[in-house]
Amino acid sequence: MRRPGSVVALVIATLLVLVPFWWMVSIAFKPESEVFSAEPRLLPDDPVLDNFSVALDAGNLATAMTNSLVVALLVVVANCVFTLLAGYAFAKLPYRGSNAIFMTIVATTMVPVAVTVIPLFLIAKGIPLTGGNDVLGRGGSGLLDSLAGLTLPHLIGPLNVFLARQYFMGLPDELGEAARVDGASEFRLFWRIYLPLARPLVATVAVFAFTAVWDDFLWPLVITSSPGTQTVQLALSQFLTGGNVAYGPAMAGSVLVLLPVLAVFVFNQRSFVAGLSEGGVKG
Amino acid sequence: MALLAERGGDRSAARSRTGLRGLRGTRGTRGTSGRGPTGRRRLVGLVFTAPVLVYLAVFQLFPVLYGFYLSFTSYSPLDRGAPRPVGVGNYTALLGSADFLKSLRVTVQFVAEVLPFAVGIALGLALLANRRIPGIGLLRAGLFLPRIVPLTAVSLVWLWMYSPDGWFNDLAASLGLAPRDWLLDEDSALHSVAVMRVWKALGGNMVLFLAGLQAIPGVLYEAAKMDGAGAWARFRHVTLPGLRPVMVYVVTINIVYLSQSFAEIFILTGGGPLGSTTTTNYLIYQEAFQNNRFGSASAMAFVLFAAIFAFALVAMRGNGRK
Amino acid sequence: MITNRWTTADRRGFLTAATAAGVLLAVTACGTGGGGAGGTTGGGDANAALTVWFPGNSAPEIELVTKKLVPEFEAANGAKVQVTFVDWAQISPKLNAGFAGNSAPDVFGHGPAAAAGFAAAKRIEPLDDRVAALPAEDRADLEPYLAGGQVDGTQYLIPLGGNGVLVAYRKDLLSEAGVTEPATWAEAAEAAGKLAVRDGGTIQRAGLMLQSAKIQRVQSFQALIGSEGGTLLSQDGRQVTWNSPEGVKALEYFAGLYGGDAKVSDQLGRDFANQPAGQNPLATGKAAMVSATAGQVLQMVKAVPDLASKIGVLPPLRSADAKTFGGATTGLFVNADSARKDLAWKFAAFMVSKGVNERYAEAVGGLPVRASAAQGAYVTGQPLLKPFIDAAPAYQGSPNVPAWVQVRDVLDKHLEEALAGKATAKKALDDAAAEAGPLLAAQ
Repeated sequence: MRRPGSVVALVIATLLVLVPFWWMVSIAFKPESEVFSAEPRLLPDDPVLDNFSVALDAGNLATAMTNSLVVALLVVVANCVFTLLAGYAFAKLPYRGSNAIFMTIVATTMVPVAVTVIPLFLIAKGIPLTGGNDVLGRGGSGLLDSLAGLTLPHLIGPLNVFLARQYFMGLPDELGEAARVDGASEFRLFWRIYLPLARPLVATVAVFAFTAVWDDFLWPLVITSSPGTQTVQLALSQFLTGGNVAYGPAMAGSVLVLLPVLAVFVFNQRSFVAGLSEGGVKG
Repeated sequence: MALLAERGGDRSAARSRTGLRGLRGTRGTRGTSGRGPTGRRRLVGLVFTAPVLVYLAVFQLFPVLYGFYLSFTSYSPLDRGAPRPVGVGNYTALLGSADFLKSLRVTVQFVAEVLPFAVGIALGLALLANRRIPGIGLLRAGLFLPRIVPLTAVSLVWLWMYSPDGWFNDLAASLGLAPRDWLLDEDSALHSVAVMRVWKALGGNMVLFLAGLQAIPGVLYEAAKMDGAGAWARFRHVTLPGLRPVMVYVVTINIVYLSQSFAEIFILTGGGPLGSTTTTNYLIYQEAFQNNRFGSASAMAFVLFAAIFAFALVAMRGNGRK
Repeated sequence: MITNRWTTADRRGFLTAATAAGVLLAVTACGTGGGGAGGTTGGGDANAALTVWFPGNSAPEIELVTKKLVPEFEAANGAKVQVTFVDWAQISPKLNAGFAGNSAPDVFGHGPAAAAGFAAAKRIEPLDDRVAALPAEDRADLEPYLAGGQVDGTQYLIPLGGNGVLVAYRKDLLSEAGVTEPATWAEAAEAAGKLAVRDGGTIQRAGLMLQSAKIQRVQSFQALIGSEGGTLLSQDGRQVTWNSPEGVKALEYFAGLYGGDAKVSDQLGRDFANQPAGQNPLATGKAAMVSATAGQVLQMVKAVPDLASKIGVLPPLRSADAKTFGGATTGLFVNADSARKDLAWKFAAFMVSKGVNERYAEAVGGLPVRASAAQGAYVTGQPLLKPFIDAAPAYQGSPNVPAWVQVRDVLDKHLEEALAGKATAKKALDDAAAEAGPLLAAQ
């Protein structure tokens, strides 16, 4: 498995995947006049930083990134806690009807969001005791136009529950049996035996939960209305609209928006790394 | 360590059992332990899943059920009154709608084009990337990057790459091929969107496979080596079976996501040319938000739902039993 | 007993993070929910901010409105205004959710094409009395654009910005080819034949390119059929008339530019409005004549300053008549459920007041809606704007019927078939008429 050929293949694949990003970064540093030259240059002739300052100033990008980060962080933690617990239970502690419930959970993700966004909006508006609402969820605006409202559809990703279930299903039942015989509690089994083996799973769920927030457009569009609750996608869209398509600032903004996500991933990817020779269940 | 090594054999047996059962694998618990789960264990299972169940019932299931109800009504969000019941009228109207039937064909074709590449290449990349070499973190991050870049932004780059003077025509020219209007040509538009989609999907799938590979006990490989199995045999008899639960997941969610493709089409082609990239979900969006016909849009959504569900079920069963 | 790489510290961190998340969640839920700017119409709090959703979200527009115009209005009226910008392509989902949840804003912007639908659902306030109360001078100044905001004679929309589509051309390329400026569609086709540069079957440089992207092709067709003396719909908006002989002639002309032996244009279906202006084929020299809006022409010149002396704009081309697509592009509506209708109207009137509207038009790169703006600094300082102002009498907007958006999409689909050579002009228009007829009858 350590033949140099496969390393070369991996490097080539990575470079191919990175081609659009090369252009993205390159354009981010190009002055407006260079963005569309007859012969596209790989590197800017005369690199500038203007695009970044435009993106940050006009784009309200700093606020938007803070908002998106807060929302994403909440969503990541909620997903890591709840979907892991549930996925574990569906895999290792089934109860009557749990499979049917699980299938229902998976099935709900197959309905396009265009149909569910309005009911969800009404729910967000009707959350009791928020945004001036009474106990019955009436009278105010609920979680509309709030960061908490932005987290609503993402707090628990149904497909993350699916992922967790599949992952735990792949871990042998015998691991828990011995401890169970010793009289350990079910939670202790999960916490001490299975969770430590699920580090790649935690990393994956974290990354997916994060990107679900980072990639969402329709929900933030629908429920936010003040500048203080804008998210990154909304902030970026102002450089992409008809009549004002500005490649430079749009690319600069995209680069800025990518950085925190990249950091989250690079930080997390160690968990995928253990390799075949060591660690975890490898013994 | 010794203890673990000893247990390796047991575990591989357990694995193949759970793997074989795939979706229904939870029943393996009973088989392995030799007695049914106690009532307490069931209760714990219920407690562990309770927060998820409550949350999803409110924020996931209710909107879906409400949409299902709307599919039997005529409703526009602009209306002040309650949705007007129309029975199965929305569904029967769909049967005669050439646009809708065409959109289903486009959707199936799109999924069929993207799925094998998005899964196959990702698996290959995961196998290549599942090792410790200097800089592997950067390579993985690079491969994963498309998954995390906001689509609205990166679509500009793709629009440019597909434009007459863009990178793809540059490539075509250097290969001696004629330039073309990738996104404006009925023959190439859907394939072009598919290429971008494969690019966007690879990283996520690769990460899932990496996580799956990590869960395969190293002792299995050692045992296989001792038995004199070659690299290919180890891949077939250790890696693939070990990856099965994750494979089920990857194929299923790819079907679920791909058959609901919308954003990339909204941005790259707007459903054209000549409706050749109008997927069902794109049509649903138009019907819901352009025409304000939520009843009809919901009916489309549930026909699409039935189709996705059927395919996903086949994928889960098929993969589980292979 | 199991080797693992998750230390106790890891687990403690996990636990701490989980607890922190729970607390944070509770805090955000309570702390930020109160902003609640969305829910204004249901409640009767007359002191809350006036909420406005603006159509469009370009950076210069946001800058002008939020940093200058809104503070000016707030200072003058002692009111608070909260503005949200919504991308054109995405305004419908946001408005729909707002209406469904009774939390739509006091004032919102949209195109005239949406007016009839909102009016039919009684979601927007009739503004006749308020317009009538404006000084006569103001009314006369706004008159040409007001008509585009009426449904069955009732004023619902206050036009905020206008635009028109004319054929722009490259002076340098025309003189190079020894072609004089065409005045009719027939002359334009002839000139295009001379201007087009072909290499075998492919077009190197287009002679005449009419906008042919989604929806834009309906507008191009509308200009052509209007010039032939035809209309899209009957006067009462209940019947299709686009499959008249005039319509067929118009579509044959349109399709002839892109197909057949004498084609003079390529890039069928490309959307120049959503690309940087510098990429417009007129700017790159890949076309000698291109249909363009005033905004597009201005932006081309801004992106490539050299073009200022090279670009000219033709008056509306003539056939039996001289009509083109144009009029109000966006306008402001007042929510029928608003608790602050007086203030809402004041805001709408402020946005179209003298001076303010000119500044707005300049920021978005469109036409000001006041006739008097023709003498203003913005228009006189931009020679390329004059032809668009002068062409105002030739402008025709979309028919204001409730089913228009759906009818337009049907027509669009069949126009595309004809342009791609998949159907004859006659068949495409007849098919479109057959499909759109029931939609018009049902409204």
